Amino acid sequence: MTRGLHSVCLVALVFFVLLPSPAFSQEDRIVVGSKNFMESKLLAEIFAQLIEARTDLAVERRLGLAGTQVCFEALRTGAIDLYPEYTGTGLVSILQQPPTGDARTALNVVRAEFLKRWDLWWLSPLGFENAYALAIPRSRTDGAPLRTISDLVKIAPSLTGGFGYEFINRPDGLPGLETRYGLTFQRVQAMQQSLKYQAAAAGEIDVLDVYTTDGRLAVYDFVVLEDDRQFFPPYEASGLIRGSTLAEHPELGSILGLLANAFDAGTMRQLNYRLQEGGESPEVVARDTLSALHLLTGDEAVTQPVPHRDGLLAYAWSKRTTLMRRTIEHLSLAGLALGLGILVAVPLGLLLERHHTVAEPVIRGIGLTQTIPSIALLAFMIPVFGIGMLPAVIALWIYSLFPIVRNTYSGLRDAAPQAVDAARALGMTEWQILHWVRLPLAAPVIMAGVRTAGVITVGTTTLAAFIGAGGLGVPIVAGLQMANTTVILSGALPSAALALMIDGFLGRVETWVRPRGV
Amino acid sequence: MNPSALSIRDVSKEFSPGVRVLTHVDLEVVQGETLILIGESGSGKTTLLRMFNGLTHPSSGEVCIHGEPIQVKDPIDLRRHVGYVQQDAGLLPHWTVEENVGLVALLLGWEPERRTSRVHELLDLVQLDPQQFRARYPIELSGGQRQRVAFARALAADPAIVLLDEPFGALDAITRHELQRQFLGLKQRLKKTMVMVTHDVDEALRLGDRIAVLKDGHLLQTGTATDLLNAPAHDYIVQLLRHRSHGDHS
Repeated sequence: MTRGLHSVCLVALVFFVLLPSPAFSQEDRIVVGSKNFMESKLLAEIFAQLIEARTDLAVERRLGLAGTQVCFEALRTGAIDLYPEYTGTGLVSILQQPPTGDARTALNVVRAEFLKRWDLWWLSPLGFENAYALAIPRSRTDGAPLRTISDLVKIAPSLTGGFGYEFINRPDGLPGLETRYGLTFQRVQAMQQSLKYQAAAAGEIDVLDVYTTDGRLAVYDFVVLEDDRQFFPPYEASGLIRGSTLAEHPELGSILGLLANAFDAGTMRQLNYRLQEGGESPEVVARDTLSALHLLTGDEAVTQPVPHRDGLLAYAWSKRTTLMRRTIEHLSLAGLALGLGILVAVPLGLLLERHHTVAEPVIRGIGLTQTIPSIALLAFMIPVFGIGMLPAVIALWIYSLFPIVRNTYSGLRDAAPQAVDAARALGMTEWQILHWVRLPLAAPVIMAGVRTAGVITVGTTTLAAFIGAGGLGVPIVAGLQMANTTVILSGALPSAALALMIDGFLGRVETWVRPRGV
Repeated sequence: MNPSALSIRDVSKEFSPGVRVLTHVDLEVVQGETLILIGESGSGKTTLLRMFNGLTHPSSGEVCIHGEPIQVKDPIDLRRHVGYVQQDAGLLPHWTVEENVGLVALLLGWEPERRTSRVHELLDLVQLDPQQFRARYPIELSGGQRQRVAFARALAADPAIVLLDEPFGALDAITRHELQRQFLGLKQRLKKTMVMVTHDVDEALRLGDRIAVLKDGHLLQTGTATDLLNAPAHDYIVQLLRHRSHGDHS
């Protein structure tokens, strides 16, 4: 009999996936974060390169964190030291204050409140606003003289609006806009930010929300409507930094101060165009920008166009080192989460099998975790676990539990009841029944649960990119922002291949643990 | 009269309040006899059988084995020394015939050599060629072969008492008849105390030294086949005996 071998196999599986994780935290290191859109990444990269050029500090980049809440929590809890933020976002989303006031009032309010509440410092504004605006393709105006949002109100009831999820929900977005202008659309379609332009150009939607520095405004023939009733609050870009970081490295204040008023909206639109449409990386554009501002110490500016329009294979080949690293990160995250999932869920299933009365409620409770949206789960965890690998693994671990617990419990409970009865009647102890009868007979069912969890985990690991834990989600998220299918596929295809490989491997294990005679 | 092997005194059983499956049952099984518990589904016969090896406990009353109350015994040790055969054999599907038959010996910590020779002896006893069958899995056996393996497994540690829960119930008529014939042969040779549950009157009359008739949790009558035929204590027994096939009573 190979019962011992099966245990060894499970243990080996667990240790195979427990790959070493990167070390955390050291002194003299500045962690720069950004949100998951291009301009935020570019500004963060500009901060990072400027600090690298003018100090001896090591800079760690945590770019592409999912949204304001994740970024801000990361900053507040010290998981990052610095990230680019907008005064309007600070006022409305973080301070939850009404979207009013001009640019100076907004800056002064957030500056004072952030210092008082969290010792977070707004640095000198960078000189441009990236505010919300409404835009309409010129072809949809039918020649009508459409210049302001007030003009739009008259024809809006026959138009379809396509807006980002955040815009639809923010008080300084659609709800407030509707109230201020009395604006109503025929239909409102929630859309991913990067897809709206294409949808508008294709005539799927008529009106969209845009950011005023969006690079695509340079190429798409859209009318950006004037906010004639000054509804949208000012969104001045600025660095937001921890007071404790400034206290430790006071020079950072003056070095980052070099960027005060360095940009205007037109410049930013062009830089964003290079990122969004030209497919250049934030590193390259940031270096060119700093070089043009003569802020780098040497003159090492080198522009390397990225050949990613040459097709998927060529692009993947040019990025092979990065993709390999992303793949290893992806496997480590998924493997670690799945391994921990097995370590907890299988014993829990065994325990529940001995306590039938609580089993169903407990399993149903664990099942509920599957319904928590991943971004929400990550946002809950940042105050406790910060950002990076740890919260990503914990989130993935939580998602992996349900299929394993469910299958372990059901597999044990339903394993050959007649054989279990006979074993008990002939004098096996409950432990022997578990070890010799239930577990071997339930092993294929348990492994099927592990297999399901494995595929789910590998798929879900793409979300790790939202909290700076890397993995193949990074190119997927980046590609989505750039609306660049090549970049998306460079992450999505390896991720799908990994899922298939894991499924195949665990399928083999499942066959292997199936006892003979069954 | 032989001494008592098993006795049941004033036993009642309720699985939950109001759901009574046995009512004030008294029963004596003497050493070396084969006692048949007969009744229809829900009569309480299997519940009664499972009290003899502590798989079920009475709500009130006393169960004794060799004169000792069963509660004072270690249930695990007790079960290792009482044979048990169930309707669908209950073989461990992932264990070979040899491993299944050697199960109790394994639990009792016998040396492997002793186990193997005992397994071969038992397979011979139930007329299965050890060389041909020992390495097979239950799925590779016919229903009758599985039942013989289960019987061999029950006898492994040479228990004085063997409990059988409808051991031939799931077999076709021809196989059942053949196994009953073998069972009678073994019964003569082994002189074990056996308690067998069945709902088949012919089987009861053919195999039992004495027969206990149960209905709705009440024990109606206990006696030999002749007692039951000549002096049925209850209308139900008259009806029950009417169901037997003719000329099959040996």
